Amino acid sequence: MPKKAVWLIIIFTLLFILGINSGELKFIQNLGNTICLSCIGVG
Amino acid sequence: MGRLRTLVQTLVAFGTNAYLLFPFGGSLIYQGSLKAVCHPGLNCYSCPGALLSCPVGAFQNFLASIRFRAPGAIPHPGVIVVGYLGFIGTMVGRLPCGWLCPFGFIQDLLHKIPVRKFSLWEPLRWVKYGVLAVLVVILPLWLVDSSGLGSPWFCKLLCPAGTLEGALPLILLKPSLWATLGFYFWNKVTILTLLLILIIFISRPFCRMLCPLGAFYSLFTRMTLVHLEFIEGNCVECGACAHKCPTGVKPAQEFDSPECIMCLKCLDACQFRALQFGIRRPLAPEKKRRVSPP
Repeated sequence: MPKKAVWLIIIFTLLFILGINSGELKFIQNLGNTICLSCIGVG
Repeated sequence: MGRLRTLVQTLVAFGTNAYLLFPFGGSLIYQGSLKAVCHPGLNCYSCPGALLSCPVGAFQNFLASIRFRAPGAIPHPGVIVVGYLGFIGTMVGRLPCGWLCPFGFIQDLLHKIPVRKFSLWEPLRWVKYGVLAVLVVILPLWLVDSSGLGSPWFCKLLCPAGTLEGALPLILLKPSLWATLGFYFWNKVTILTLLLILIIFISRPFCRMLCPLGAFYSLFTRMTLVHLEFIEGNCVECGACAHKCPTGVKPAQEFDSPECIMCLKCLDACQFRALQFGIRRPLAPEKKRRVSPP
């Protein structure tokens, strides 16, 4: 297994865990529960 | 392999857009706990059927809210999305583009229309990195209103998946939205129309030219855990692999190409087993340069 890939997997896993623990999961959920006006092109 | 890929694409496209209550008195979009999870492909979270969130939309909104000044507002840099997409990218590179992305699936279906096909002008491949840098990162961070809140500029200006899967169904379901539509909507409808026409003639033009998610995944293609291995000794240079490739890659010449979406059509096309799909093995320094001169 290439070392670079293993290191990157470790780093990205840590970033993901950091995101979960800092409340970013809730942010995504709140975002997903509202209609995205930018996606529709309102404005 | 082709049939398996179509089956997976169909299951993922319908499985991740399986909220069917919107016409029957349920909420207009799904609002359950699955929305905390991002789709690995480009799939608008405002699509009435969408069960998952869009990673590009979520990341832009994280960046757009970093400078938001409000009592109690905690800035989130979006490391969860970077970690999630980076993990997928490092594991399998652009495989989600070829197998899991609903908008990629739509492009594959439209391109089956039997008309004369054209190839994409290769320098246009670089535009998607500009889209990623400018529309997804720089503008949401930089262009903010008086309260410090930015906008998801890729969704606002360009995203054809948002127009097709989100905007058009929503304005049909909720006609009151018509009154709020303006320049941005018609701009996006024009882009979507042009793109849908282009897709019929050119294979996967959006993935190759404009997709910021594909651009992000492609940053990892030279170090992914799984990859397509080229066995030089078996290759007879028949060109069958390059002929089948939907993104214009020449697998025998462009080893670990950032354009490769790992659809594995080249693997099916090769009669001589010159391509193998599997876990990348660390190479000895003298074997690292395996690209044959054209």
